[in-house]
Amino acid sequence: MALDVQTRQADNGATVVAPTGRLDVAGAPALKDAISEVVKSGPPRVVIDMEGVSFVDSTGLGSVIAALKQIRNTQGELRLAAPNQQVRVVLELTTLDRVFPYYATVEEALAGL
Amino acid sequence: MRSKHEAFEFHATFSELDEGLDVLHRSVERLRQATGRTPDDRALLLFETALGEIGSNVLTHGRPPGTEKPVDYALRFERGVVEASLTDSGGPAHEHLARQMPGQEDEQGRGLAMARELLDELGYERDGRHNRWRLVKRL
Repeated sequence: MALDVQTRQADNGATVVAPTGRLDVAGAPALKDAISEVVKSGPPRVVIDMEGVSFVDSTGLGSVIAALKQIRNTQGELRLAAPNQQVRVVLELTTLDRVFPYYATVEEALAGL
Repeated sequence: MRSKHEAFEFHATFSELDEGLDVLHRSVERLRQATGRTPDDRALLLFETALGEIGSNVLTHGRPPGTEKPVDYALRFERGVVEASLTDSGGPAHEHLARQMPGQEDEQGRGLAMARELLDELGYERDGRHNRWRLVKRL
């Protein structure tokens, strides 16, 4: 099952990247490609909307860490929104919840970004 | 009504990454349905996460280049314990087994450490030219 990634501009000018499907070893390249596109147009403020992500594995998580580094390198900011229970478990297990404070909804993540 | 302890068995072989990952997740979904568990059943979710890690390792490293040797997969559930086995024909994987959880900014190398943490037992043996993985968790 390929990962589908949609990108849209929010009212405050931030970019919402919304993957749908499994963010795993097969799906991670699609997220990396989408983030690379966003970064091309200047210092990005990005929310990754995880609502459509049914499952994440360590490679998928690696693609989110890569996105964070890429966005920070351009003085941008990245937030995660709406992770499901499995994604939250993986973030907590790997202590990456300390690196990615996640938000319950996209609207909450966009506030103040 | 289905019992949470109803016995369950699933067997498959596969060669391709996408196909293999689909089969692994589908097998857990069937187990979930067969035992009347909800999608947020935490123990099964943790098992599925570990299975995804070992499965993707097997599917990316466990098939010798240029061959279509299939991966053999079985999932069993009995008396409250779920057990998966995966057999591949790749090179030995001993050196990866003790890998620790990497730093927070590292993009790779978490899979086996996560699987060990999530399972009650993670077994590995090299049998001739095959790697055999065994994943066990009480649900």
